Amino acid sequence: MEFDHYPRACTRRDFFTRAGSGLAGIALAQMLHENGLQAATTTADPLAPKPPHLTPKAKSIIWLFIEGGPSHIDLFDPKPKLMELAGQPLPESMRPKFTAMPGTSKNGMMPSKRSFKQYGQSGIWVSDWYPNIAQHVDDMTVIRSCWTDGINHLGSVTEMNSGSILSGRPSLGAWVNYGLGSANRNLPSFVVMLDDKDPIGGAKQWSAGFLPASYQGTQFRQGDTPLINLKPPDGMSDFEQRNELALLKRLNEIWSADKQEDYELDARIRSYELAYKMQSAAPEAVDLTKESEETRRLYGLDEEETRAFGTNCLFARRLVERGVRFIELYSGSGSGWDAHDNVEQNHSKWCKASDKPIAGLLTDLKARGMLEDTLVVWGGEFGRTPFNEKGLGRDHNPWGFTIWMAGGGVKKGQYIGSTDEIGMHAQEAPAHVNDIHASMLYALGLDHLRVTYMHNGRAERPTVVAGQVIPQLFA
Amino acid sequence: MAFREQVGTLREFFPAWTALALFACVGASGQTANQSTFSSGVAPILSKNCTQCHGEAPGMANLDLRSREAALKGGQHGPAIVPGDAGASRLYRHITGQEQPKMPMGGSLTDQQISVIKDWIERGAEWNPAIKLDAPASAASEQPAAAENKFTDQQRRYWAFQKVVKPGIPEVKRRDQVHNSIDSFIVAKLDAKNLKLNSRADKITLIRRAYADLIGLPPSPEEAQAFVAENSADAFEKVVDRLLASPQYGERWGRHWLDLARYADSAGFKADENRPNVWRYRDYVIQSFNEDKPYDRFVREQIAGDELYPDNAAAKIATGFDRLWPDESNLANPILRRQEILNDITDTVGSVFLGMTYACARCHDHKFDPILQKDYYRLQAFFANIRNDDRASLLAGQEAVAYREQLTAWENQTREIRAKMQEILGPVRMERTKEGIGMFPKEAQDAVFTPPEQRTAMQWQMYYRSASRLPSDADLEKALKGEAKQRYADLKKEIAKFDALKPADPPIAEAMIDGSRNAPATFVLSKGVWDAPVDEVQPGFLSILYPANSRIVSPEGLNSTGRRSALAKWLTDPGNPLTARVMVNRIWQDHFGNGIVGSSSDFGVMGERPANPQLLDYLAATFVENGWSMKKMHRLIMLSNTYQQSSSNQPEAAEVDPDNKLLWRYNRHRLEGEVIRDSMLLASGQLNLKMGGPGVFPPLPEGVSRKGSKYLSWTTEKDPAEANRRSVYVYVKRNLRYPMFEAFDFPDTHESCSRRYATVSPTQPLVMMNDALVRTWSLELASRVLNDAGLSPEQQVERAFRIVLTRAPKDEERRAVLDFLTQQSAEIGRRLAANDTVAIPETLPDGMQPARAAAFVDFCQALLNSNEFVYVN
Repeated sequence: MEFDHYPRACTRRDFFTRAGSGLAGIALAQMLHENGLQAATTTADPLAPKPPHLTPKAKSIIWLFIEGGPSHIDLFDPKPKLMELAGQPLPESMRPKFTAMPGTSKNGMMPSKRSFKQYGQSGIWVSDWYPNIAQHVDDMTVIRSCWTDGINHLGSVTEMNSGSILSGRPSLGAWVNYGLGSANRNLPSFVVMLDDKDPIGGAKQWSAGFLPASYQGTQFRQGDTPLINLKPPDGMSDFEQRNELALLKRLNEIWSADKQEDYELDARIRSYELAYKMQSAAPEAVDLTKESEETRRLYGLDEEETRAFGTNCLFARRLVERGVRFIELYSGSGSGWDAHDNVEQNHSKWCKASDKPIAGLLTDLKARGMLEDTLVVWGGEFGRTPFNEKGLGRDHNPWGFTIWMAGGGVKKGQYIGSTDEIGMHAQEAPAHVNDIHASMLYALGLDHLRVTYMHNGRAERPTVVAGQVIPQLFA
Repeated sequence: MAFREQVGTLREFFPAWTALALFACVGASGQTANQSTFSSGVAPILSKNCTQCHGEAPGMANLDLRSREAALKGGQHGPAIVPGDAGASRLYRHITGQEQPKMPMGGSLTDQQISVIKDWIERGAEWNPAIKLDAPASAASEQPAAAENKFTDQQRRYWAFQKVVKPGIPEVKRRDQVHNSIDSFIVAKLDAKNLKLNSRADKITLIRRAYADLIGLPPSPEEAQAFVAENSADAFEKVVDRLLASPQYGERWGRHWLDLARYADSAGFKADENRPNVWRYRDYVIQSFNEDKPYDRFVREQIAGDELYPDNAAAKIATGFDRLWPDESNLANPILRRQEILNDITDTVGSVFLGMTYACARCHDHKFDPILQKDYYRLQAFFANIRNDDRASLLAGQEAVAYREQLTAWENQTREIRAKMQEILGPVRMERTKEGIGMFPKEAQDAVFTPPEQRTAMQWQMYYRSASRLPSDADLEKALKGEAKQRYADLKKEIAKFDALKPADPPIAEAMIDGSRNAPATFVLSKGVWDAPVDEVQPGFLSILYPANSRIVSPEGLNSTGRRSALAKWLTDPGNPLTARVMVNRIWQDHFGNGIVGSSSDFGVMGERPANPQLLDYLAATFVENGWSMKKMHRLIMLSNTYQQSSSNQPEAAEVDPDNKLLWRYNRHRLEGEVIRDSMLLASGQLNLKMGGPGVFPPLPEGVSRKGSKYLSWTTEKDPAEANRRSVYVYVKRNLRYPMFEAFDFPDTHESCSRRYATVSPTQPLVMMNDALVRTWSLELASRVLNDAGLSPEQQVERAFRIVLTRAPKDEERRAVLDFLTQQSAEIGRRLAANDTVAIPETLPDGMQPARAAAFVDFCQALLNSNEFVYVN
């Protein structure tokens, strides 16, 4: 079954004339509102591609969301000073500290048990937990001065996704959908993948908030039906479904014969064609049978520990190839990295599960020439404290933590910012979550100040009331 | 490097007052109006009328009018000024209305001001860069009297703040188009543009429209036939009256209100706790609509039912409106938690009842509307002393007395045992309490440990917001060990002997009440930050309407402040310019798909202007005259020609009024997900019309729910009849919207939703084509039609059309369907021969080929998917 692109109205007036009711146009009227995103390309399709504000550096983002709070001190931000201070309390100047677990800030400092090495031309430090990822430091900018607002998982994961610790705002991927539309209408444009349980807060983390629901993320699941309701009903062949769709189309056309001015009815007819195409496009996107043995090994699909996350990483590359703009994959979904009791035990498992897949993804993207226009972001909702919890664990640290980015126009092999000598607070060049978001949008050619949506009388934007593209981040 | 902008710096506040003071001095230099300099003439106009919106980035339309360079550069539509040529300057064109929207929004410049600007541009638009156009001051830091004087005449004259005066019925040219007063207002506007209403919609369209609109279900073929057959003048009126009297009316219109009330059965955030009795509020709303409860009473009950009608169970349930906030019970700071709840209520009350975006004023004076930051906290102060009462007994009168007596008897008999039990729990309680609230700030911990009789009002507030982290007796019992555990178990056995004496639990609601007669102080919060109090405020309304503090009287004999009663009375005072206008506009919106004011929860400057202000006022006045009756308003609207006209296009009218603001046709619009589901259930004969009670859990698509997942837990109904209840009874889980509804834009429920989106997306066809439920309903529909005895193939097709679309098929439709059935049954026959699985209705009439029946199922599904079925035409 063939279908055209959505018919395009030439002007706003033309659009509304054809769209008929104001109700149909509400989302569109919003989109048209004052942000200058587009006027000429308005269509009845909320996901129609829209021009970016700036020349984009990346076509897609792969966001490796390391959920639960990976310990920057044990991975990318070595603090030899902690050896010296082992067992001693937090300096007086930093107390009292309002921590997630009551009173942990009174506990003694805990040096990392990991050994760190400098890698590559850039000499960026990485611990022995990430030996494969370490091979890619010369493609990365490592931002060691991140900070966020919430001390608990829910608030911070929500903020890392939506810019605010409170529920109800659109997630970053939804803003991207809104700002740029879709580059492949046969697949969802904002895809989320989990490797374990639900992330904290569940599906709210990829919600469209107050934006229309069409912009929300779609969860891709492993297996042959990545989307819900993707398969034709039991007992119906493909031929029969196509036949039924043809009848539907015919009935709709007869009804529309005297309603030619109504674009929305056309759009609904076409949405069936899109859905039908999605039924085959989505399973094809996650069909790994065409991938070589070598590729599968590269992502760790041959090993039990790395298979789940490696599969998602490989899906991510395939989705980028197919024009999906925003892919968020959780490592340790459901606060997996939340090492309150024992950092060694917890992080050993999750580092093992993610090291090879992430390194494989970077290698593969690079080999295919895709890294240049794919921004890969690694990071959690916060880091962990330099003082111990229960002897071997670490508590949440929203005051200072590390994320890194690679590809998509970011400078290669550099650091931005630092934490203090014990890794407690961001010190130089602090980068707030809103700054991280502004930067990710910038990579896609969006000015975070111009991605606005009128809601309750305010021109809302992804970065709420703050945010700035992180200086020095892009080449 | 400081990346973060300061939140809500002074720059964000109202126009440039300090700059104005400066201009006043400079302005005394003796310039005439037409020869005014930039500083004495132009700058005050710009700073007072323009730079508030077209200032600091991102200025509206990306336009910054604070410097010459920026004005020359212009915004997204081009340069604002062309020096020397006013006629080519957008600034001039917008203030004169040559370009839309006419600026400034919500008002206009005087002729003299316009001529100053024109003259200035013509003379080359000279600009004095020394004069800053963005040096505003915060109202919060000013003296209250000064703050009130901040309102401009333009703001005071803003239409939404004017008292409603019932306008006279306008004269019209096309009198034949007028059936009732509404038509006069509409036709008068159309006359002026030389347009006319469409002719009346055909009867089938009309009855489907009325059914969808009032009860959210299609008419049965028989009901439709009766209407078509009846020729009396009041045939449609009778249909309207019948539907208004139907209990399904409350379910349909109650749902609109539940959107506004951000209704959900769970708390949201991490734990998304079940709210086991909150459904009574949903039922209360449905019941209120069905009773045609006067809207003013409906508002009073929801804001202050506990104070105003203390013996009324419905009023107690009604306060659940304020109890519907999303809540993080695990929040580590009860003061912050309280503030978030208060913010939710303030935002919701402001938008639902007043149609004002109060939320903007949480951090700073509203940028566009005359809502001071102070006003946000004045409104919030009405709620300063609230607490939830999640076990509000609904017993009243004699029943309540009897319950109390019996409980007292039980308490007297068991006093000693209970005291002993508490003694055992005591030490564990202390330990567990400390653990539970150890992360709280010290003042909150102190509040919990302060003996109840010594707690201040604010300490009680902290205590209530801590309660979810305090251990229950059952928690403590589990922590007991050894001998204590044994003794406790023995005492439990002993107390159980008195169970017969204990009264049964009363029915309970999740309500909201005041904590005591004295409320804690309310402060303006700097930048909206919970721990940055600035000035104390008293309860009060919008300063622009009513600058004084509200007069509060604590109700006699109640442990309540009376604050909310004062608010409820102000909201429902017929002199309040907003309440009635906002509500009639909502009713209008839900009939026409579009309000007279398009932004139905934003009557402010950034919202839309009323397309027909006289009509809005006429309706608002009529609403109040008619005792705030919603049903009378529905009748008035639905009996107008305006409502009954067809949705056909008029190309000439579309040229003049492409948005159909003047209503030269009825707006065709898509049905909501709930109506689509209910209508499919009805067509399939499966709809269960049982009303009320706790939320139900119909099946989810495969793969959505997962065992052991706290976000995706969903206990699907075992009884299919329960699963087939109307959609308004489907459990509303904040963290898991029911997928079928979500695909069709069910609101987020974290905040009030005044108007649903109506998007078109491929997710919708995936549901409608592939969801197992839709497939089942198609099968049931097919079975229902095929088993209607004695039908020929043509008649079967006709019967299906009549059930689903309320009409007979056209010839070309019938041919298309019959061709399809032939082709499809041939294909299915081949698969049946190969022993493939095929969906076939269980019982078939004699002689019906299974393959043909299976093909008929597919045809039925296509009908349920058709545009005609999911659109109100």
